[in-house]
Amino acid sequence: MIMRPGQQLLLPASPLFIWGSLVVAMVINMTQNMGLWGRAAWAPDMLAVVLVFWTVHQPLRIGIGASFVFGLLMDVHQGALLGQHAMAYTVLSFFATTVHRRLLWFTVPSQAAQVLPLFLAAHAVEMAVRLIGGAGFPGFWVLLAPVLEAALWPVASVVLLAPQRRAPDPDANRPL
Amino acid sequence: MPLGTLDRDPPPFFRQGPSALSKLAVFSALAFFIMVADARFKVMQPVRMGLAAVLYPVQWLAMQPIQLLQGGGQYFSSLRTAQTDKDLALKKLGLQAQRANQVEQLALENQRLRKLLSLRDRLQSGGMAAQVLYDAADPYTRKVVIDRGMTDKVSLGSPVVDELGVIGQVTRVYPMVSEVTLLTDRDHAIPVLNTRTGARGVAFGDTSSHVDAMELRFMAANADVTVGDLLTTSGVDGVYPPGLPVARIEKIERRVDAVFARIYCIPLGLVAGASHVLVLEPVTAQITARPVPDPAPPSGKKGGPK
Repeated sequence: MIMRPGQQLLLPASPLFIWGSLVVAMVINMTQNMGLWGRAAWAPDMLAVVLVFWTVHQPLRIGIGASFVFGLLMDVHQGALLGQHAMAYTVLSFFATTVHRRLLWFTVPSQAAQVLPLFLAAHAVEMAVRLIGGAGFPGFWVLLAPVLEAALWPVASVVLLAPQRRAPDPDANRPL
Repeated sequence: MPLGTLDRDPPPFFRQGPSALSKLAVFSALAFFIMVADARFKVMQPVRMGLAAVLYPVQWLAMQPIQLLQGGGQYFSSLRTAQTDKDLALKKLGLQAQRANQVEQLALENQRLRKLLSLRDRLQSGGMAAQVLYDAADPYTRKVVIDRGMTDKVSLGSPVVDELGVIGQVTRVYPMVSEVTLLTDRDHAIPVLNTRTGARGVAFGDTSSHVDAMELRFMAANADVTVGDLLTTSGVDGVYPPGLPVARIEKIERRVDAVFARIYCIPLGLVAGASHVLVLEPVTAQITARPVPDPAPPSGKKGGPK
């Protein structure tokens, strides 16, 4: 068990929180679609960010299988070709698994730069599938989506690790 | 410190499960098969419906804050806006009143004339009001989701209209909601009739230009079409009732080297911003079935008597 220099000791992640955060990410995706900007090609895919995050941080709990199932659910919600998100998330999760031992040795901004190609690959898979299936090009705004997703990585690192950063044994005598 | 308070498990050396690469292969292959089954063989609708039923509570949950905010926004919209809207609606009603009052008499007259000529009665189709919930998120298509589904007996292929004209057709029915493919979708085609000349054609969705529009295809370069012509449904498809306004011709490009003219049309219905729509029953059910074709005559070599 090799510790990174300056690494914080974290509490164990609660499975309930992991699955809950995935569902919340899906709800945020739906809210973006239903309420905020409708059919926007550039909208960041929160679910992809959270899936990559947990694949990197908890590879024993969240992996390719979970990504596949959530991908199918996204396809049904979007009314898209059934299986396009499933394939994109499978590829995304595979790459996340391959980099997960290396990635956490870097600072968070550097991690964000390194997950950008992952998100690019996922969107490329999705677009390739649709273009082969005979759909039209959705416009160049689609290139903004992976950038926004990478930009959300630091936010995810703060929010999703917050429950693990609490004191293990809170009592009345300590300020925290 | 009690045990199990630190998130430091030793990496599992022996109990690793299948490798990531094999999982990738299995799940990509599965996704590929699902895509082929969905796009090519259209057999995934039951799976889709099951997943949609699982997903519906989550969607409902996501809808609640949005509807609350929208409802709240409407609540605080000023009295003046409401009065302006009402005035506009009354004005529109006044304009329509004359035509609407004549319809009764014209319908009666038409019915008698048709009887005289012993023609079949015109097809009537009932409607059901629905509300557009949201745009489907898929940026490659143009679809909206309405709040009527299988429980309201929406049938597949029903035309959907708003107060100005046709906006699309129901292409997927779920238990509580349905998906409507809009006229501007790339794969959507609608048979139309030019009301000025009576020429029939087919209009396709066109998302290539900046604004979503439609294109009237397969009209000869010298066809009698002018800017401003009104296109209505022709009724020859057996889905749309005839005479619903569809689009108005916006621009015509006639090229010397092309056989067909490029004709751009703008949909009359509020395709992008419709909020309340009417789902019509497709007239397919009222049409008498096609006669069974005569059995093919036996061909010389193979189909001989046995």
